[in-house]
Amino acid sequence: MNRSYLFIPGNTPSMLQNLDVFESDAIIIDFEDSVALYNKDAARILVSNFLKKYNFEKTEIFIRINDASSEFFLEDVKNTCELNITGYVLPKALPKDVEQLNKLTNKLIIPIIESPMAVLRSEEIAVLPNIRGLLLGAEDLTKELNISRTLEGSEILYTRSKIILICSAYNIDSIDTPWTDKDNLDGLLIDTLNARNLGFTSKSSIHPNHIDVINTAFTPSEREILEAKRIVKKAETTKKGAFSLDGKMIDLPIIEKAKKTLEKAKKYNLL
Amino acid sequence: MKSSAGTYESSDCLITTTKNDTLEIIIESIVFEQFGEQIKEVIINTLKEHNILTMKVECFDKGALDYTIKSRLETALKRGGYIE
Repeated sequence: MNRSYLFIPGNTPSMLQNLDVFESDAIIIDFEDSVALYNKDAARILVSNFLKKYNFEKTEIFIRINDASSEFFLEDVKNTCELNITGYVLPKALPKDVEQLNKLTNKLIIPIIESPMAVLRSEEIAVLPNIRGLLLGAEDLTKELNISRTLEGSEILYTRSKIILICSAYNIDSIDTPWTDKDNLDGLLIDTLNARNLGFTSKSSIHPNHIDVINTAFTPSEREILEAKRIVKKAETTKKGAFSLDGKMIDLPIIEKAKKTLEKAKKYNLL
Repeated sequence: MKSSAGTYESSDCLITTTKNDTLEIIIESIVFEQFGEQIKEVIINTLKEHNILTMKVECFDKGALDYTIKSRLETALKRGGYIE
């Protein structure tokens, strides 16, 4: 599972050619909002030549194509389906749009849940083939609901919780909405920790400066790793289903959780 | 017919193609001393790849890498209807 997904504009060479220095676990090259209507063709050609020339083995690369009802959708897929990418991010996704994309490619798909109808039908979307995860698009969603975004995100709590439960149930990535206040890194940290505590596996971002905060927030802390090690060690030595550690009862779910923490720590070379 | 692609931003280039009876390449670059010949070679090779022997190509380069020069040229050619 990736901790961070960074959007970068598809028609900006200076961003493209630095994509592996941003330290994001995954990159989403954008053909949609960040590319002007008259430059959609230029972005497709630029990204195609770029990815034919350079290989990025350590970073997963996705392309956010234009939505299935747009005039650019088919051209976006046709011009990129042979490229060495992990998959597509599909905006304004509904089940029929994901099915349409699945007919055109076998690559992984991350649908963006950004309309009230998509929220209601997100479980139908999650069970379709090739789904890597669901990405919450809170800006479009709140625009459709005609409500304002807040720092604490109470207006999207229901949607966040619903997406997390569905993704967890079907073992796919749950990717939180980007933090849009570019220079407010304190706010980003609060928002990211909130997302992690709610159960998100990952967070998307629209600015490279946000990646460090996101990666740190989604990586187990030293204290968490130490505690997980002690739990797993005691579970192995006592060989009991339940036992006490520092006055707290430890049983199977807590042991499994500790093992997951250690797996994550190992993935990020922290053991 | 004149057609263009690209920008004046750093690491990019603006390329304009115009139908011409001969091959004419004009390059203006912030790194012309070091890379002028290489830019010309990318332009010539890209045209050859698409079987284009005559064309006026103007390139205003702001430090673009080869793939960007090739891409902007192909986009301009496509916009001008010279390639599919």
